[in-house]
Amino acid sequence: MEQVSGEVGAFQVAVRKKARYVNENLCTGCGACAEKCPTMVVDVFNAGLGNRKAIYKYFPQGIPSVFTIDAAACRQLGQGKKCGVCAKVCQAKAVDYDQKDTLIQLEVGAVVIATGYEVFDPSVIPEYGYDRIPNVVTALEFERLLSASGPTAGHLDRPSELALVKEMEEAEKEHKKLQRQVSQLEEKHGKPSSEIVAAFQSGTLPDDADLRNWALLAQDLASLEARLDSMNRRKATASVARKLAFIQCVGSRDFRFNPFCSSYCCMHSVKEAMIAHEHDNGVHSSIFCMDLRAVGRGFEEYKLRGGKQANIRYIRGRVAEITQDEALNPVVWYESTQNRQVVHETFDLVILATACVPSPGAAELARQFQVELDRNGFFKTDPLAPLNTSRPGVFVCGCAQGPMDIPESVAQASSAAARAAEIVAPARQAVG
Amino acid sequence: MSNDVLVIGGGIAGIQAALDLAEMGIQVHMVERLPSIGGKMAQLDKTFPTNDCAI
Repeated sequence: MEQVSGEVGAFQVAVRKKARYVNENLCTGCGACAEKCPTMVVDVFNAGLGNRKAIYKYFPQGIPSVFTIDAAACRQLGQGKKCGVCAKVCQAKAVDYDQKDTLIQLEVGAVVIATGYEVFDPSVIPEYGYDRIPNVVTALEFERLLSASGPTAGHLDRPSELALVKEMEEAEKEHKKLQRQVSQLEEKHGKPSSEIVAAFQSGTLPDDADLRNWALLAQDLASLEARLDSMNRRKATASVARKLAFIQCVGSRDFRFNPFCSSYCCMHSVKEAMIAHEHDNGVHSSIFCMDLRAVGRGFEEYKLRGGKQANIRYIRGRVAEITQDEALNPVVWYESTQNRQVVHETFDLVILATACVPSPGAAELARQFQVELDRNGFFKTDPLAPLNTSRPGVFVCGCAQGPMDIPESVAQASSAAARAAEIVAPARQAVG
Repeated sequence: MSNDVLVIGGGIAGIQAALDLAEMGIQVHMVERLPSIGGKMAQLDKTFPTNDCAI
């Protein structure tokens, strides 16, 4: 959104259409470009748990089904290097490095704001260790771990093990390289490396740069092998996550961050615990909450079903701190309000039910449309006109006006559509 | 006067609003920040309380 003017019935809006660097009329979505693209980028859709290429589709089923170049990451566009691989392999000739942003002028009678929300970043809560402890994840990250189309194909691999696998891959690559260099030197000099290392360590190595380099390489190789060994041992004992802890109200109902209730997280955690149990019947979950809010239709029954059938334990108590033991298991410290004691328990994985906060662009959009935000930063509405913003003809639905679940968002969206239609429907104009 | 409607955001709320308006024969312009529509719901695996698949 660039600029807004006009009034109800006739708003003039300028919209910047960002360059995709792919002609969407030509792209067939075949994916040959992404297959050959040499640049790996952290995948935002998978909540940073996986990688994608610099030319990508946001997610496999994404609509429109065309590829986009991430210009900042692209070798050709962002880094000024010679590449052009995607353009070469594209049979449809859809890749267009010269595409530019375009400004589109729209005239509309009404506007529906449905900009949604953002997930609260829990790294600002130091006691939960989100950025320190690998096996503490957000509910959205866990959602991607559970998804059959996610980075682990739905298996509950722990992030610490995913990182280990990645580290091992890199170490093995490095190992191959070092091994090749060392064996070349061995062949060249016709001596085993052990002799050179021994001489180097005892200080009897002749003063020769080549030999010194060889000794250092051989030492690096030995230490890398030791590291690989220990990583292999860790990998052998690694197991999938079976004992899960869900921490509720992370950033919500907390006066340091957001005073409001994010409304959907209680049921979201119950759902994630149920799906995890469905995937692996050995999964046991504990949900730590101040109170579990199951106020929608069928929600209370769903919660009880989780407790009975999906090994979910509901624990009343606010978690004070999460620490980590030597095996990278998170340890949850909390006050048990039942026996009035501070207790701690070790889990395989901790999932933080993070708050629903206003989307980062909400303030700017509100400024452009000259509509008011409420004190929490969501679009302000009137209790008796829950879809009206403070400006006639501009409506708001879904999480843009506050935390809500999917059925409520859908219901509001239909209502907002009806309100917008009231303004633009030809019948009304005929009468008016 | 214009008979078109602008929907800002292509998540589940924006999609639902746009589809409803289109069903009524109204021209809709949808603006989405990301390369694909779907929003947060597309990132979800299943939804409560029925455990139905998301988008």
